[in-house]
Amino acid sequence: MQLTMAVQKSFEGFRLAADVTVSGDRVGIFGASGSGKSTLVSMLAGLQKPDSGEIMLNGDCLFSSTKGINLRPEQRRIAMVFQQHCLFPHLNVRNNLLYGYKRCPAQFRTIDFDTLVAVLKLDGLLDRGVTNLSGGEKQRVALGRAILANPRLLLMDEPLSALDDSLRFQIIPYLKSVSEQFGIPYLFISHSLVEMRLMTDTVLAFEKGVMVGQTTSEQLARSRMGQSSVGYINLLKLGSPTPKSGLFAYQWGASQLLLSGGSGCETSMAELSSKDIILFKQHPEATSARNLLECSVRSLFNSGNKIGIELDCAGNTLIAEIVQDAVDELCITAGSTIYAAIKASAFRMQPRNLSD
Amino acid sequence: MFLTDSDLQSLWLTIKLASVVTAILLLVGTPIAWWLARSRSRLKGVLGAVVALPLVLPPSVLGFYLLLAMGPNGPVGHLTRAVGIGALPFTFWGLVVASVFYSLPFMVQPLQNAFESIGERPLEVAATLGASPLDAFFTVALPLARPGFLTASILTFAHTVGEFGVVLMIGGNIPGISRVASVQIYDHVEALEYSQAHRMAAVMLIFSFVVLLALYAWRPSALKMTRRD
Repeated sequence: MQLTMAVQKSFEGFRLAADVTVSGDRVGIFGASGSGKSTLVSMLAGLQKPDSGEIMLNGDCLFSSTKGINLRPEQRRIAMVFQQHCLFPHLNVRNNLLYGYKRCPAQFRTIDFDTLVAVLKLDGLLDRGVTNLSGGEKQRVALGRAILANPRLLLMDEPLSALDDSLRFQIIPYLKSVSEQFGIPYLFISHSLVEMRLMTDTVLAFEKGVMVGQTTSEQLARSRMGQSSVGYINLLKLGSPTPKSGLFAYQWGASQLLLSGGSGCETSMAELSSKDIILFKQHPEATSARNLLECSVRSLFNSGNKIGIELDCAGNTLIAEIVQDAVDELCITAGSTIYAAIKASAFRMQPRNLSD
Repeated sequence: MFLTDSDLQSLWLTIKLASVVTAILLLVGTPIAWWLARSRSRLKGVLGAVVALPLVLPPSVLGFYLLLAMGPNGPVGHLTRAVGIGALPFTFWGLVVASVFYSLPFMVQPLQNAFESIGERPLEVAATLGASPLDAFFTVALPLARPGFLTASILTFAHTVGEFGVVLMIGGNIPGISRVASVQIYDHVEALEYSQAHRMAAVMLIFSFVVLLALYAWRPSALKMTRRD
């Protein structure tokens, strides 16, 4: 996907001035509420008209105020998955899925209905009404409906924000696998850094209607660490748990971690905040933290008023955050050896396997 | 016999009039309601007020102006005579035209509410899935507004059945042509035929009650505007 948007729009005291040139198949738009990201994608989809500017997608002009071009939404072949599922309540699951498919010109119909239904695990739901589906099922149907429209670009406008944590992390693998399997590039809009890292490679960051940076999702998460109340969220891919002294022992690469919760899955994902890692210059004789990892420091980076420490823990990466005084006292430099202590209760298990 | 032939004739005429008016208003009222629900034009307020006028105008006022317009010297009268239809007052189709104006808000307002309650999002979703505005209207908006159509149709039909003032002004009292049920009851009372007036009134009462009962059972909130003038 090659997207160029140089557009302006003002309404109700808000002004959006976007100048974006981005390529890639997994692109994120990150920003707080009111930053203009939803307005931006609405203009890209043709649902809102910019005051002026130009929108080009893969070389095709979708909008140009100077040339007088403004393709209607149905002419753009850009499908959207919205925050709310927005399924049509008068149609059953099958007919919801087929709504866009039937309207897609035959030459663009490359995605097979049955294959998509199998990938999204919707087989048993096809003849059911949509009002009785669970939140996760509804969002899977909405995703399938958008994919079956065979779009050249899929816009996902905070598709997970209406779901609780459990459902959110069930849906993410579907979002990723469906668009990757069927070769549809996507723009993923969210204000969650974790979702950005799981879903995207390149991220456009917006603040108050202006793009303030284009970076990788990883770099964005590190740069926001110092000003985030939850810090940087390390995502740890763990093996299957075994009970141990009232806790659960997980294999994490070559290391073993003790967690207070168990998932029952063969592989799991755990979140660990950079704020929950305590660093020691020397091996402490005793500590109440159940996990003590010997690490080497790969690098240090500034983030707000904090210093981020990238640790190499037997080949795995952890990000910890400390203040400058602590860096000085511990004499932390790249290459130095350090001990990271983590309480067993500091980990937050994600409910489903996200390793796919 | 419970009802006389004349009573039955007036009842049949009433049902025919209400059916034709409801059908015409479904066709005419739907685009007006759609426009009122979605337009941001300044004219929206003007059209909305025009549509609502029959709710507050005395039927005789509306009937008087329609009589003038459709009369031999009125603009509509000139037009209908020019195209060979002749004068509309005191004909069945004159009654239909008057009733369309008179019952317009009872069709448009429930439909407008139904369209407004759908919101923009389902239509936006349809557009991003490749549906043109007309396609989205027929495949998304109309099905989602179906309860509103039912409410509007029942209200329009029932309101037309209950017309009196406008009917007298435009149609007079011609058996088989303009003597509808409400006029027939009036005639019975004038002739001191109270037992026949009772029977006709009972039929109308039961009909109105059944219609409103069905409507309340279907949508209790739909009866914000069942007030008679």
